[in-house]
Formats: sequence, C-alpha cells, structure tokens
Amino acid sequence: MSKQPEKHDRLRQLVSWVDGDREPKDQTLFVMEQRPHRDFRPSEEEFERREKDRLRKFFNWYPIAAAVISAVLGLILLATVMNMPGFGQEDNPINNEVSQRYLEQGAEETGSENVVTAMIIGYRGFDTLGESCVLFLAVAAVMILLLRDRKNTSEHEARQMEREEESVQEHADLILKQVAWVLIPFIFLFAIYVLLNGETSPGGGFSGGTILGAGLILFSAAFGTRHMQTLMNRRRYSAVRTFGLLLYGILYGIYIFIGANDLPNYLTGMILLIDLAVGLVVACTMYGFYALFSRGEI
Amino acid sequence: MRPFVENFPFFSIFLAILAAIVTATIRSGRAAYWVTVGVCAVGAALNACVLEYTYLGDLSFTYTMGRFLAPYGNAINCGPLQAMLTTSFSLVMAASLAGGRRDLFQDVLPEKQRLYFVMVDMLQASLLALTYTNDVFTGYVFIEISTIAACALVMAKDNGPNLIATIRYLFMSLVGSGLFLIGLTVLNSITGYLLMPSLAEAVEGLRLSGSYPIPLTVAVGLIVAGLGVKSAMFPFHLWLPDAHGGATSASSAILSGLVLKGYIVLLLVMILRVFSMELMVELGVTDVILAFGLLGMIFGSLAAMRENHIKRMLAYSSVAQVGYIFMGMGLGSVEGLIASCFHILVHACCKPLLFLCAGRLSAVSGHHKSLKNLRGSAYRDVVAGLGFTVGALSMIGIPLFGGFVSKLYFANAAVPTGMTAMILLTIALSTVLNALYYVPALLAIWVKPPAEDEAAILADVHPGETARDRSFMAAAIVLTLGIFVLGIFYHPITDLIEAGVWLI
Amino acid sequence: MLEDIIQNRYAVTAVILFGIGFTNLMLQQNLLRKVIGFNIMDSAIFLLLASLGYIDGGVAPIVGDRGFDPLYINPIPSGLVLTGIVVSVSITAFSLALIQRIYRRYGTIEMRELLERAKKEDD
Repeated sequence: MSKQPEKHDRLRQLVSWVDGDREPKDQTLFVMEQRPHRDFRPSEEEFERREKDRLRKFFNWYPIAAAVISAVLGLILLATVMNMPGFGQEDNPINNEVSQRYLEQGAEETGSENVVTAMIIGYRGFDTLGESCVLFLAVAAVMILLLRDRKNTSEHEARQMEREEESVQEHADLILKQVAWVLIPFIFLFAIYVLLNGETSPGGGFSGGTILGAGLILFSAAFGTRHMQTLMNRRRYSAVRTFGLLLYGILYGIYIFIGANDLPNYLTGMILLIDLAVGLVVACTMYGFYALFSRGEI
Repeated sequence: MRPFVENFPFFSIFLAILAAIVTATIRSGRAAYWVTVGVCAVGAALNACVLEYTYLGDLSFTYTMGRFLAPYGNAINCGPLQAMLTTSFSLVMAASLAGGRRDLFQDVLPEKQRLYFVMVDMLQASLLALTYTNDVFTGYVFIEISTIAACALVMAKDNGPNLIATIRYLFMSLVGSGLFLIGLTVLNSITGYLLMPSLAEAVEGLRLSGSYPIPLTVAVGLIVAGLGVKSAMFPFHLWLPDAHGGATSASSAILSGLVLKGYIVLLLVMILRVFSMELMVELGVTDVILAFGLLGMIFGSLAAMRENHIKRMLAYSSVAQVGYIFMGMGLGSVEGLIASCFHILVHACCKPLLFLCAGRLSAVSGHHKSLKNLRGSAYRDVVAGLGFTVGALSMIGIPLFGGFVSKLYFANAAVPTGMTAMILLTIALSTVLNALYYVPALLAIWVKPPAEDEAAILADVHPGETARDRSFMAAAIVLTLGIFVLGIFYHPITDLIEAGVWLI
Repeated sequence: MLEDIIQNRYAVTAVILFGIGFTNLMLQQNLLRKVIGFNIMDSAIFLLLASLGYIDGGVAPIVGDRGFDPLYINPIPSGLVLTGIVVSVSITAFSLALIQRIYRRYGTIEMRELLERAKKEDD
C-alpha cells in the first residue's frame, strides 16, 4: 500500500467518510443535512449533544402523535360498537351452532357438565395448554430477572435482606399467625374442593389453583421463610411445577394423538387429572411470583 | 386412520413444548443448549418430511387437535408453504444458537442459562404454532408466548440499557396484542367463529350481503395494525433498534430473523385463509399496508445510515426489510405475496448471518461495536468477515445472492399494479440507500486501520476470543449456503411457494 | 344514537375503558402507570367479550340435571376471557419484575429519565 500513496490517501478519505468523520466531496446527492466541518474525531460532548437533541425532539412529537392515535382509535371503536349486534339478543351471530353443540353435547362428549370447563379443556384444549405454558414462561422470565445473582444483588443488599428476615422472625405478628393458623386448613380444603369440582360447578384448575396459591402465600407471610422452606423449598417447588405441566402436556398430547388418528379413547376422567395438573401449575405460579418478588428466592 | 406423517407438525410443536418444560430442570447450561439445538434439528427434519409429503402429494391437510372437527375444536392446518417456512425457521433457529454460542455463554449468567433455553424452546414452539395454526385464538395465545419469550431473550444479557430496551419492547408488544385481541373480539362478535375455514365462510357471507360493514372493516384494520405493531411495521418500529441491537448475538439473530417473521406469517395466513385478498383490496387495507411498507423501506434505511453502532445499524435495516415484506403484501396480488414469502426466507437467512458475524467481529475487537472500532476486524476472523460480506451483498441485492431474487420478484409483482413507477422507484432508491450503509460497513471491516489504532483495539481483546469458533463457523456456512441456494436455485423454491399459496 | 348507546351499553363502556387504558399505556411517562393502563385496557376487552356472550334471561352454562329447559348464556366468550385473564396476569407479573429491576438499577421509573441515561451507557 505504501507504494501508492495517492490511492492510500483516497482510501483514508473514504474511510473517514465511512466513519461519519468527513462529508463526501460531492455534497449534492445523498447528504441528509449540512453539517459544519468537524475535526477528525467528533468530541464526545458534540455526539452527546446531538443524541440529546434527538431525544428531545422525540419527546416533543411523541405525545402529540400518541394522543392523536388514541383519540382516533377511540372514535373508531365507538363507531364500531354502535354498529355491533345488540346486547343480550338470542339471534346474534355469536350464538351459532358451535355454542349450541357445546351446550347440548358437551356433557356427553367431554364428561363435564360445566360447559366452560368442557370447552377450555376438551374442545379448545390446545389453547389452554398454551395458556399454561404462558404461566410457566412468566415464572421463568421473572426468575431470570429477580432470582438473586451477582448482577442484581450486591452483598450489602443480600445481608440487609437477611437482617430484615431475622427481625420479621423475631417479631412475628401474633394476630396474623393465629388467624392464619385457623384459616389455612380451610383455604386448602376449599381449594381442593374447587379444584376437583370443575366439571360440575364454576371452578376447576385455574380458580382452584389460585386459591391454593393464595393459601401458600398466606402461610409464607404469616410463618416466615424458614417454616415455608419445610413445606416447599426450591427443589420441591420446581419438581411440583414441572410435574404439573408435564402431566398436563403428556396427557393432552396423547389425547390429541388419539383424537386426531381416530383411535379408541380410553381416557375417561381425563378432565379431573388435567384440572389437577393445571391447579398445581397455577398454584406454583402464584406462589412463585410472591416469593420472587418478596425475597428473590423460592 | 390418517397417514403417520400427518402427525409430524403436531409432534414438532409438542416436542418443543416438552423440551421447554424439561429444560427448566436441567442444571447445566451446555446440556440445555444441546437439548434445544436437538429440538430445533428434529423439528426441521420432521417438517421437512411434511414438506415432501405435502408438496409431492400436492395437498394440504387439517389436523384436529383432539377429537372434534372444525369448527368445534382446535386444529392446525398444514400445506407446503407452512411446512417450508417451519423447516427453514427451525434450521435458522438452530444455526442462530450455534453461531452465537460463545457470546451467549459469556453474556448470560451460568445459573440462568437454562432459563434462556426454556425461552428459546418456547419460542420455537410458538413459531411453529403461529405458522400452522388454523384457529385465530390459538394464534393469540401463541403470540403472547412469543412476546414473553422474545422479551426474555432481549433482557437475558441483563445490563441496564437492555432492561430499558426490553420494557419498551414489552409495552409496544402489549399495544400490538391489545389491538389484535380487540380486533378478534369484534370479528368474533359479527361472525361467531374462531376457526379459520368457518371464519372465512362467514366473512365472505358478510362481504356479499354487506351487513356489519363498519365492524368488519375495523376488525380487519385492528388485526393488521396489531400484527403490524408487533412486527415493527414502519411508524411503530421505534422499539426495535434498542431491543435487537443490544441483545446478545444469538438473541438478535433469532429476534430479527424469526420472531418478526412469526407475526408476519400469521398475518399472511389470515389474509389468505380468512379475509381473502379481494376483501383486503376492497376495504383499502392493502393500500395502507403498501404505503407503510414503502415508507418503512426508505426511512428504515435512512435511520440505518445515521447509525455507527453496527448492531443497531443492522436492526434498522430489519425495519427496511420488513417494509419490503409489507410492501409485497400491500400489492394486493398473489405475486406480491409470493415475493413476500420469498423475502421472508431470504431475510431469515441474511439477518441472522449478519448479526452472528457482527457479534464475532466485535468479539475479536474487544467487544467494541462502533464501526470505527471494527476497522480491519475482518482480518482477525476471516470467516466472520466473509459471512458479513455475503450477507451485506445479499441485502443490497447483488445477483447470485438471495436478496437480488426477492427484489426481482417484488419488481415483477409491481408491474401489473397501477403504481408501478412509484414502487419501482422506491425499490431502486431503497437499494441505493442499502448500499450506502452496507458498503461503508464492508469497507470499514476490510480496511486496515493505522497501526497505533489497531494496537489500541487489540489491547482490549480477550485472548480467548481470537481462537477459532467452530460452532460459529458451522452456522455461518449453513446460512451462507442458504443465501446462495436462494439466490441461484430460486425457481424450485418459488414454485413451491406458489403451490403452497394456492393450497393454503 | 342514544338508543344504540343504551342497547350496547356494556360494549360502549368497554370501548371507553379501552380508550382510557390505551391512552395511559401510550402517554404515561411512569412505567407503573403504563402497566396499570395496560391492565385497564385488557379488562376492557374482557368486559367486551363477556358482554358478547350474554343472552337476556340466560343462566350460567352448567348443564346439570336442569336439562335444556333454561336458556344458557354462550359459553365460548367466557372461556376466552379465562384465557385472556391468565395471559394478562402473566404479562403484568413480568413487566412488574422488569420495573423492579429497572428501579433497583436506576432509581427511577420515569421513561424520559431512563432513556436519557440509557443513551449515555451505550458503547
């Protein structure tokens, strides 16, 4: 390269243009804005100032654009619902043969008298599997964020948390403890009742699981982490969660395979098992959120 | 009893879900990595079988998820187009993971690596499900899965700017899914169905009878807008550069190459199977899509030109490429859709390759990412340099590379429309703009800097980084081959897409 | 006009709530308020869905020994609402976790300040 100083020079010019350090010779064609000539390296302040300028411009026009979009969207939607089928009328398009069949044959075809349960677990079960995956995924995502590690918790913070935990242990709230002592068995009982009665009453995996999770949260809040650890530590937690979803997934996978291939169906009482599995997943999710948010650990 | 091969699409989705559940319990990050790559490879193989079966048999089939036929139960629908898209998505997913492997294990804390792979598995499942779904509500559920998983991929690197990029991405995605869901609700209220075939019949009936015109228009508009926001259609792209530019290389590759495409494919399938092209043209939705696509092609490139940060530049370039895809859809003809599908494939090969190579190039330059600091980096890792060159040339649209063919098809599809001149000029302008930022980037990586500058850069380089990265090389070779195959043997592929579009 | 509004009162309420939620999600600078806006928006969609399934005089679709005599409401929207709620809960938890981390790192949850600071840290 040194043999061709001129070419080398050109190349250097091009490279400096490439880096945005220099304007191209011909300033007519693709130059977006005219800038004053700068030194070889733009100073950091200059760069920062321009960035700030852009950000300020963004903040100036963004609210206006967003407000306009929101207003237009609101008006469009209002106009839409004015023209939608009337509320509560029996001959609306939505009340068609699909819901008719769910109501008339749901109990027979899926074994569930509660048609909503029949629909979410039998007819449209793949959606519900996806939904359980959303819960599973949400806990995993919160774990990535909040599970204590060297990036999100300094040693100082960790020690402080421990101290707080200690003080909570020592000065536990007597009223809370006593009330929890009385309430928790009933909460668990009710949760199991709701969980197992999804077929015949409003209930099922999601509602029952939520109640179960609430019971776990109350237990943890009233009796502290240490007692909670005896009931549910990290390993047990992940085992229960994985077991629940895996049970659901495999059961449902077999169900789909059998159904799609027209094989004889031996899976009676599947709804009960699936409700149970969903309940475990939901309970673990609820408790997992609580534990991760409050102490960054399970 | 159906042929056994018809179970494969369901198996591939299901395998990914199970793998996600199991991966959460694996302690070692490396084992989780191999499980995930294995799942992607198996998914690719299964879907390739389906592709062969459907293309040779010239058929598409509906697979009921359970015992209940449409419109009563969930179902997936599979034709050559879907099978081809899922095969290539699975392959690119595996290649992206392999290529970004070293960065990934450095950027993500060891105890959280398995969770990262849980996200990738779920993303794989949701991509397959979004492509195959025959049910709009299943589409919604899997959109949400891929939203959470994609956000988690962005934040896996876990530094400050990343968290902010993630929350911007999340909020924008929430706007998108909110719009999509309310659109579905309105559509459901006037048709009463959720499964695509019955929905299509009902929509056709409404179109012919002219009842509920406003709700129908609004529903179509909201669904398009919702999916458009999620796939970074032009005026809603502001979240994209930070999210894709800041993540670890494998995440950027997956997000840019595949996740955006998942939503676009769902939109495409809904246009073809539910709304029908005639309705879209009648309602004027295609014109809006076309306008946004054209604007995106120009402004995405302009923004990329301003950028010095190599990954953010590539991210802005994605905005422009998504603009191309939407432009093809907006042409309102089957040719346009075919061109769009082809461009989805091309971009799914090019962008991961570019991101992976950019990641490697910055790794051998002490993890600096501005073009100024990457000068001469191609000599430090020649494979990455060559890969970047191939990807960039394909993006510009040089013959023999994939990007050229898709531009050719776009131009071809634009001829019968009323706006040929404008579209062709925009494509030409966008090509020039592409060249204006990719050529400088190429020059930057291939021109050696002055010795003292290079020494300063090399002082930052971690000694382990310069060692050859075999899995990266494998991934780069696979993706490069993909680009050349798309650029040279494009005829069979477009035939396949065309067959798929008719059979869908 | 007024008749339309009264007839579709639930849908109109839902749409107004959706507008409020959407505006909050777009315009608020405080991340927590954005999340609340998102929740209002989603709840509005659920209200709309639930109102779609209602039939005047209908009862809950639990087909026990009552047979087919009573008029049942449409079960499909109820099931969809259930799915929607679960998704909305998950996303809310995820975004709150993100906000907590952001607050711990930057000490603020105002979008504007965050964006200004994030630019500085960039390479």
